[in-house]
Amino acid sequence: MKFHSHGSNVPEVNMTPMIDIVFQLIAFFMVITNFEQNKADERVRLPKDQLAIPAVVRPKHQVTLNIGFERDPDTDEIISPTPLMFYAGQKLPPRDWAVPLAQEARFFEALDVDLAEVAVEIRCDGDVPTGLVQELIQKCQNTRADRQSSQGFQRFSLKATQKTE
Amino acid sequence: MKFRNRHPGGDTIESQMTPMIDVVFQLLIFFLFTLKIVEPEGNFDINMPLGRPAESAAVDAELQPLKVRLEADQAGNLKRLLLNDRDLGTGEEAFLRLSEEVTRVVEALRRVGPADGTDGADAQEVELDPDFRLDYRYVIRAISACSGRVTEDGTIVRLLNRIRFASIRSEE
Repeated sequence: MKFHSHGSNVPEVNMTPMIDIVFQLIAFFMVITNFEQNKADERVRLPKDQLAIPAVVRPKHQVTLNIGFERDPDTDEIISPTPLMFYAGQKLPPRDWAVPLAQEARFFEALDVDLAEVAVEIRCDGDVPTGLVQELIQKCQNTRADRQSSQGFQRFSLKATQKTE
Repeated sequence: MKFRNRHPGGDTIESQMTPMIDVVFQLLIFFLFTLKIVEPEGNFDINMPLGRPAESAAVDAELQPLKVRLEADQAGNLKRLLLNDRDLGTGEEAFLRLSEEVTRVVEALRRVGPADGTDGADAQEVELDPDFRLDYRYVIRAISACSGRVTEDGTIVRLLNRIRFASIRSEE
């Protein structure tokens, strides 16, 4: 049998379709990836509502407070009945909920931002007793920065996931 | 000069698809693992500065806030919904009734309307008065019923946007 030997066996591959597809994929995922949700905690099961439509204008300064329960990862059932605030890797029981608020107040004081301009975004699990949410709002109102500022947090937005039917 | 045609069959070279498929699959797997599907979230704004209720009561002496009372059973479920002490029942029907009542009030206010041409319903407040142990989702449902409704053709009609909480009830 006779074999023909060529100078080079490696033909040049046309890279264009690969680059096309790779760029298209990257563009697609960049568009659908939601970078806004980085402060949202996935352990919180928000209530669902038809009117919960994502805000068009986002507030300039905001604090996100995540309140939920410890849930079983498989069954999603609540393990402990005490609601917890998930804040900076910690799980805080209701009696400690004023601590992160004081920290946030100091942070905004350092930025020279009035607390009245800061929107407090409350992401609360649908099974949490409402009284605790009201107490949290009260704690926010009573939070003061170290400096003698006149008022605490005043703007609150209660989060819910959009119900689509 | 003499050129020899090395490929008499044609000039096209079959490109190696393997590396492309490798890369594409690797990318796909990477994004599939890292992608977190998040449902879109919306918010209901409430404005609650300290001492505000007394202040607003003085300004809007004629316009009493709509008082929405939500009573809970031992398990935290809604037992009874009342609008200005009128029983609207329980369950999803209660919220539908609440929405109808609020719509009626808003339409009446818009018909009368203030002389300066602004929306007559803008000044109307809603005061939510839930039991301590009531599950939070019922409060969101009540806020939703007061703040707007979705019509049959899917459009959203805005109702009231001044919503606040009454003072906290004790746990028992």
